[in-house]
Amino acid sequence: MVLKAFFPTCCTSADSGLLVGRWVPEQNSAVVLAVVHFPFIPIQVKELLAQVQQASQVGLAVVGTWCHRQQESEESLGHFLEGLGTIFSHNPWLQLCRERGSKFWSCKATHHQGPGIAGVSREDHVILIFYDQRKVLLSYLHPPTILPDGQARDATASSEGLAAIFDTVSRSEVLFCKDQFDEGPVRLSHWQSEGVEASIFMELAKQASGPVCLLVTCLLSLVSAASACRLWKLWPLPFIASKLSTCEQLHHRLEHLTLVFSTQKAQSPAQLMRKANMLVSMLLDVALGLTLLSWLHSNNRIGQLADALIPMADHVAEELQHLLQWLMGAPAGLKMNRALDQVLGRFFLYHIHLWISYIHLMSPFIERILWHVGLSACLGLTVALSILSDILALLTFHIYCFYVYGARLYCLKICGLSSLWRLFRGKKWNVLRQRVDSCSYDLDQLFIGTLLFTILVFLLPTTALYYLVFTLLRLLVVTVQGLIHLLVDLINSLPLYSLGLRLCRPYRLAAGVKFRILEHEAGRPLRLLMQINPLPYSSVVRTYRLPSCGCHPKYSWGSLCRKLFFGELIYPWKQRGDKQD
Amino acid sequence: MACRGGGDHVKLPSPPLSSVNPGSFATCPTSFHNICMVSDFFYPNMGGVESHIYQLSQCLIQRGHKVIIVTHAYEDRKGIRYLTNGLKVYYLPLKVMYNQSTATTLFHSLPLLRYIFVRERVTVVHSHSSFSSLAHDALFHAKTMGLHTVFTDHSLFGFADVSSVLTNKLLTVSLCDTNHIICVSYTSKENTVLRAALNPEIVSVIPNAVDPTDFTPDPCKRHGSITIVVVSRLVYRKGIDLLCGIIPKLCQKYQNLNFIIGGEGPKRIILEEVREKYELHDRVRLLGALEHKDVRDVLVQGHIFLNTSLTEAFCMAIVEAASCGLQIVSTRVGGIPEVLPENLIVLCEPSVKSLCEGLEKTILQLNSGALPTPENIHNIVKTFYTWTNVAQRTEKVYELVLSEDVLSLNERLDRLISHCGSVTGHMFALLAVLNYLFLIFLRWIIPDSLIDIAVDATGPRGAWTHHYPHSEKRDDNEKVSETR
Amino acid sequence: MEDERIFSDICGGRLALQRRYYSSFCREFCVSCPRLSLRSLTSVTCTVWLVAYGLFTLCENSTILSAAIFITVLGLLGYLHFVKIDQETLLIIDSLGIQMTSSYASGKENTTFIEMDKVKDIVINEAIYMQKVIYYLCILLKDPREPQKISQVVPVFQSAKPRLDCLIEVYKSCQEVLAHQKATTTRS
Repeated sequence: MVLKAFFPTCCTSADSGLLVGRWVPEQNSAVVLAVVHFPFIPIQVKELLAQVQQASQVGLAVVGTWCHRQQESEESLGHFLEGLGTIFSHNPWLQLCRERGSKFWSCKATHHQGPGIAGVSREDHVILIFYDQRKVLLSYLHPPTILPDGQARDATASSEGLAAIFDTVSRSEVLFCKDQFDEGPVRLSHWQSEGVEASIFMELAKQASGPVCLLVTCLLSLVSAASACRLWKLWPLPFIASKLSTCEQLHHRLEHLTLVFSTQKAQSPAQLMRKANMLVSMLLDVALGLTLLSWLHSNNRIGQLADALIPMADHVAEELQHLLQWLMGAPAGLKMNRALDQVLGRFFLYHIHLWISYIHLMSPFIERILWHVGLSACLGLTVALSILSDILALLTFHIYCFYVYGARLYCLKICGLSSLWRLFRGKKWNVLRQRVDSCSYDLDQLFIGTLLFTILVFLLPTTALYYLVFTLLRLLVVTVQGLIHLLVDLINSLPLYSLGLRLCRPYRLAAGVKFRILEHEAGRPLRLLMQINPLPYSSVVRTYRLPSCGCHPKYSWGSLCRKLFFGELIYPWKQRGDKQD
Repeated sequence: MACRGGGDHVKLPSPPLSSVNPGSFATCPTSFHNICMVSDFFYPNMGGVESHIYQLSQCLIQRGHKVIIVTHAYEDRKGIRYLTNGLKVYYLPLKVMYNQSTATTLFHSLPLLRYIFVRERVTVVHSHSSFSSLAHDALFHAKTMGLHTVFTDHSLFGFADVSSVLTNKLLTVSLCDTNHIICVSYTSKENTVLRAALNPEIVSVIPNAVDPTDFTPDPCKRHGSITIVVVSRLVYRKGIDLLCGIIPKLCQKYQNLNFIIGGEGPKRIILEEVREKYELHDRVRLLGALEHKDVRDVLVQGHIFLNTSLTEAFCMAIVEAASCGLQIVSTRVGGIPEVLPENLIVLCEPSVKSLCEGLEKTILQLNSGALPTPENIHNIVKTFYTWTNVAQRTEKVYELVLSEDVLSLNERLDRLISHCGSVTGHMFALLAVLNYLFLIFLRWIIPDSLIDIAVDATGPRGAWTHHYPHSEKRDDNEKVSETR
Repeated sequence: MEDERIFSDICGGRLALQRRYYSSFCREFCVSCPRLSLRSLTSVTCTVWLVAYGLFTLCENSTILSAAIFITVLGLLGYLHFVKIDQETLLIIDSLGIQMTSSYASGKENTTFIEMDKVKDIVINEAIYMQKVIYYLCILLKDPREPQKISQVVPVFQSAKPRLDCLIEVYKSCQEVLAHQKATTTRS
């Protein structure tokens, strides 16, 4: 099997020394983490390694020697390095060598066949793979390797595929904390972060976050205690609350807040990302809401809106009246059953009359209500939008009523017709077995059935027309509400932080790696450059999507059409689930 | 048509085939052909046509020919699959219209079928079943491409109603320039010749076969009481309405009589109703859809096999049942009287009364012990119909067909116009010309030289039989080809 | 070692297969299509503009002309960036993995790397594609739970679609590497 040596790019120009890293026998690969420079005392190196190993649970070792020939050909150094192999015994023993002015390296891996026979050794093919230590350290591999429960952070390093390399590097963070310029007993060369001073604000923020979290948590617990009060559990209130999208949205936001400001530390990178995403989406939401608020409160826009609202409701009611009058005549040249047509028409007209008087009763208070509603925008754009959707539902309540009446009537007729049609064919619906059985009817039964069937057939067009018109109106309202909900959902669930991270620091979210072959010369080991393959945007969205409040349509288009045809009630997306029974 | 006993009781009519006698069957074929079987009906769909195609193909492969099967996609089964012995099946992504039959526009399947015919180097196109529109399409395209064509008809048709008049006209058009037609029984041949206005010279009779080793009797599986077995699809054609009349009558008369009914279909509901109405739940067992491998286990539980079909060209079911040692009671319709000799079958008119009488007679014989033992029946039947026999006869047909010339386009047009009436003839002649133009267009877009020749899985040069470690085609039937 | 051979794709277009053998265990196959020809680009642009001009003479609205220019430019950019794949590369490194790269005409690169211990085999398979039946090379991935089963089929050279002779060349080389890999894994 070919031996693979992973070598950090930051060490390519380091002075000669020892290679420190991890040997992964399953992969037959050596992950070099740092170079220890001369001079050193072997005992101290071993001590350092033991320290790091205890902290990171990675089996670190000296895996070989590194020789960078800068000035003259140091033959003596080569011999010296070879001798080191006997002090730090490792199998296989790597010998990397870089000549001056040459791009190509030489690499040798020596296997000691047994403790007794020192001289006999076997040499392997070696592939040198360069990697950027910083990027590998910071990146988070997708999909995350699934560890069994209980074996989370402190378990021994995994050894599966490339995840092993990522794992090794990220666990050895302790090693990188040692400063290169420290006058310690052992001098190391590896990737260095750019000082702590630059991130003083970050440090301050970190310090401050603890108390802020505590404060917000206290406030939130107060709010949730208030909302859990018994008074809210009285009969009509939970029912109404479940139908209002504002309540749902507020509840949703409350949950987000408690999660973001929980005092517990995020356990996994995924959870951390989730928190960040929630925070960013909430901030954006509030910012948008405040913009809306400032726009509404400038130039007395609320007053204008209130003035425009009443005539609009009037206008809608008037249009409806016209529509009904048109239906009561001969709509589109159709000849309806006159008596039924008149009854239905009057019934609906009376409803509209009721509605108009209700609106006029309300009109003096509209502006006050709107002003208060406008204030809610400071809680976020989504809350304002939810309120808008609820207001729309309230203002079109008459359309909803018409639709329900029409649908019930139509449903009754369709059911009657279908069962009478079965009677025609000498069949009946067997309720116990849920199937159609054959059945012999009496002459009287057949006669009555036929009569009823005829009547229903002739009355069907009138009802169907009313049903059709009001269903279309209802669908219009539902579509508008659905669009609002979609917008709210989008703001709620878009992982903005992850998307920003993907845009600015593509290596942070890794989908895997890719290799590039570096210039090659025959007889020398193959050199590859390992780069991070960033996660595509689509999978970023898919992986980090925040759970929305479940406003997705539950039915397919086909079943929706079927329901419409058979006159079953359709509800706006939110309430579908509850009203199924 | 009277029944004949013995091995060669169905003789081939056409002159070169009538000379075939059982002795010459053992000889190997002189040349190998590349045969393409086309039908809408193939596994996973179950039925007589499906097993016929499969068994025939397997036998032809064993005799050294290269065989491929073309059918339409069944749900998620699409693309290319390999079955036993490297039998390659193309499941083409065509729209299914009605009853597993594809929708046809006569042209849309040409590009794919042409690609397959060219890449597999097909020499004979063998279509099955007149219900299958894909089979007719393939015939049409094969004739346009100048390939030899054979058609097997598996079913009988009426002449009277509108739908059969139309179908018969289409069959006339489809078969008038086909090289050779195979029917499964003499009745079927008569029917086909009349319907499609064919020259009887080019119609051969090759019966279906059963694998007698799959259907062996096992009398110890029988219970003490008399059991009547019915295995068929529960549809109108199979006479399920007759069965509904028979069950209550006989059950009232004989207290120790049981029914086992295997199969699924739209008529199942009326059987259930009968069962509930007369409270026969303990005596009538409805098994639902059966897999082919389970059929034998159902058959051996019974004493009598009842077939109530209203129309049938050959009826494999009664041969299978007889091979399991059951006494057969059947309606006297279609090709059924030819299938078994008189001592193994009781034939009745297709009415409740006649069938009841037939059954009562059989029950009487059974009780008196006058019937032959199951082993005897099995030993008689197993010599009748074997797949190797069918394959050898079909091979003869292929050789005959390949010795003929394929009609050129103008001969074909002449034939269409003279054979199919003036209106239909001219119409289909126009369509044939259009199809030819379409073919020329396709040949211009993708010349034959650009089509990769398929790696041969079967046949004398097949890759399937060789096993070298890194063979060039390693995807065997565990691998699913996907359609992209 | 490097050589280049000319093959054709399933529609008769020219394909160049470059093989680079870095060592006995690292091979690269690069299938490149001809670049976007000036002739087809000009003809498409001319057609769009002529249609736009025709519409312009009919309804005398000059926005149609600017829209046509806009559409052509956007369409060309989109085509180059998302549709037109110039080159597809298969890099197979023993004991490390298989890497597939497709480079778009705009320079965008799409890379997938599959680790060797996930690869079950490389095979040539048949599929029905458009109105054709074609051969394609694909990588079979192991199911992590049941190593004998196949969890996924990854097609190679998906946009170039070379013919069987080209695929066989690549297949044989890949199998050599895989055989070497298998031999050393069982030995050690």
